[in-house]
Amino acid sequence: MEIVVPGDMILDKPIHMENTFIEENKTYAAVLGIFDKEKKVLIPLEGLWYPKHGELVVGIIIEERLNSYIVDLNAPYKGILVAKYVRDKLSVGDIVEARVKELDETKTVVLMRERKLYGGKIIDVKPSKVPRIIGRNNTMIKQLTEGTKSTIIVGMNGRIWIKGGDVALTTEAILRIQEEAHTSGLTDRIREMLEKSKKAA
Amino acid sequence: MQSVNSIKSTYIKELLNNGVRSGRGFFEYRKISVVRDIIPNAEGSAQVDLGATKVLVGVKLDIGEPMPDKPNEGNIITSAELLPLASADFDIGPPSPEAIELARVVDRGIRAANLIDTSSLFIEDGKVWSVFIDIYIMNYDGNLFDASTLASVAALTNTRMPKYENGNVIREGKLGKLKVNNIVTSCTYAKVGKTIMLDPDGDEESVMDARLTIANDETYIRAMQKGLSGSFKEHEINNLIERSFEKSKDLRSIINKLNSD
Amino acid sequence: MDSQEKPKLIVDGKRLDGRGFDELRPIKIEAGVLKNADGSAYLEWGKNKIFAAVYGPREALPKHTADPEKAVIKCRYSMAPFSSLEEHGRSGPNRRAIEISKVTKEVFENVIMVENFPGTEINIFIEVVQSDGGTRAAGITAAAVALATSGIPMRDLPYAVSAGKIGDQIVIDLNKIEDNYSDADVPVAVSPRTGEILLLQMDGSLTKDEFKEVIAKVKKAGQIISKAQRDALKAPYERISSKYK
Repeated sequence: MEIVVPGDMILDKPIHMENTFIEENKTYAAVLGIFDKEKKVLIPLEGLWYPKHGELVVGIIIEERLNSYIVDLNAPYKGILVAKYVRDKLSVGDIVEARVKELDETKTVVLMRERKLYGGKIIDVKPSKVPRIIGRNNTMIKQLTEGTKSTIIVGMNGRIWIKGGDVALTTEAILRIQEEAHTSGLTDRIREMLEKSKKAA
Repeated sequence: MQSVNSIKSTYIKELLNNGVRSGRGFFEYRKISVVRDIIPNAEGSAQVDLGATKVLVGVKLDIGEPMPDKPNEGNIITSAELLPLASADFDIGPPSPEAIELARVVDRGIRAANLIDTSSLFIEDGKVWSVFIDIYIMNYDGNLFDASTLASVAALTNTRMPKYENGNVIREGKLGKLKVNNIVTSCTYAKVGKTIMLDPDGDEESVMDARLTIANDETYIRAMQKGLSGSFKEHEINNLIERSFEKSKDLRSIINKLNSD
Repeated sequence: MDSQEKPKLIVDGKRLDGRGFDELRPIKIEAGVLKNADGSAYLEWGKNKIFAAVYGPREALPKHTADPEKAVIKCRYSMAPFSSLEEHGRSGPNRRAIEISKVTKEVFENVIMVENFPGTEINIFIEVVQSDGGTRAAGITAAAVALATSGIPMRDLPYAVSAGKIGDQIVIDLNKIEDNYSDADVPVAVSPRTGEILLLQMDGSLTKDEFKEVIAKVKKAGQIISKAQRDALKAPYERISSKYK
């Protein structure tokens, strides 16, 4: 598995992939990442988040406007919720989970189907580590939830909401997954960490 | 951003006021590492890592004029820069009141403890050495005071004395060391609601109501600074003074270990 | 400068620090050293010691600096007052630092995919904590690594190096003394993928052929510099992986 840096040629032909660019019929890496030749995907090691339709995000209401709410997504783009489609009345400071409708031409993330989240804690991680925190077939997130008894909502924007259970342990585990995301055997090590903590409790 | 920070802070406040501090005791320092002579171009230098807070101090000596009321003593000029690369909340521009306060408090501790023998900085009539202590904050995660004091003192304990010969400053060759008479260290406490803790990290500082820095050597309190708009009760302060005399033993031994290595 | 006062920079076919004409000073780069920044790097190049950090893309402030079509790149190159072997420097950016900040910014404006992030700013900070000649080149080399660790998409990973002329000899990577007494000083930044020149400044006197030789030596040295950047970017992943083999 080869690590590529921005500007490295990854394909001798033009294929459109996220985190790459095409020049003169060749495809190049635009970020530091690992190129999966079979799946034709460049996995960023330190990527930014590019919102996709339907993705779940966690955000904080930072502004109330006449017809909309502006949502902080800890990303280069702001989120927007159209007031007339919103379920409950929202206020500045509220935490919400929502789905991405689209990234509009002003590069604002239009959000839909929001749900207000009460209490809990927010931690921000690098969006490129989110897939590892969820795990293949949700294995990692299930393990975390069972091991800590916390409710965990992972936004694809890298913002995570944690409530109840052993929040400190959940936080530590998530930060560790972020640190070791690209190594093998991580799922086992996290399971050990959670079990050890249970014994100590 | 206000509301984003206030979400993050509500949770930290709850934890702290319930007696829970993640990863350490309420009067425990985070991991400290001190490396001296990290900038050989400077006459003296040190880098301190206190948790994720990273501070670089450079010491340079130049020829200067003595203060009119102290004609036989050299000068100490301490500055601090909260570099914009250290935190999203630090802006470019002239030193903020926070940077100025930091520099002046560190300076006060060093000066009051007579750490530098300023009479040894005298060269001749109208000419003395000025010691420039520059505190460079490279990464902010709370408690810049203790990290900066420790780095400044570490740098000063191994600072080269340039030579002044025939109107020239000679910074190379075999040089003596700046004469250091004393060691001072500082302990900084944060108060969150009714809870007091030593060595606040960035999250804890974002929710603190008041802050107290106590600089002392083996015998005396040398400087104190209370910060922010909250308050301390008298007995709280007395208690923190006792703790500082106790805790400073560990900090002093870090400096002494550097000298013996 | 009166040539009688100039120190001899080349003695017995070697430079004062023992290097050959095409030899770079040792370069060591560490990626991701500052926790708060979105991307960071620490670089040692000879005696130069430099921290580079990136913040962004984030909302462009003040609002009047924002561009609705693309990200705005802002760059600050700065030298610590204790960075030189000589006197204590003044605080705050001087005119030289402001010019360097500008030409550095222009290097990255070329490679960063700014169209992806309208209305935002990307801040690049270069702090020279110890200097010994060639700091703008070292700063650009470090900033490229910092940008790569931030995940901001770029079309290339630029490197930079200074070349110069000492007497009749073209040499690569001037240190401070060589820079002070050289007959020409040419900092160059290159986009390695395309070979295009992203920064070029020159001061002194050069013939056209001497200039060609400068660029040739720059590109040859660039292979070593690029490798150092690449190794720094890969290292954290190799290190953590090997801990758990």
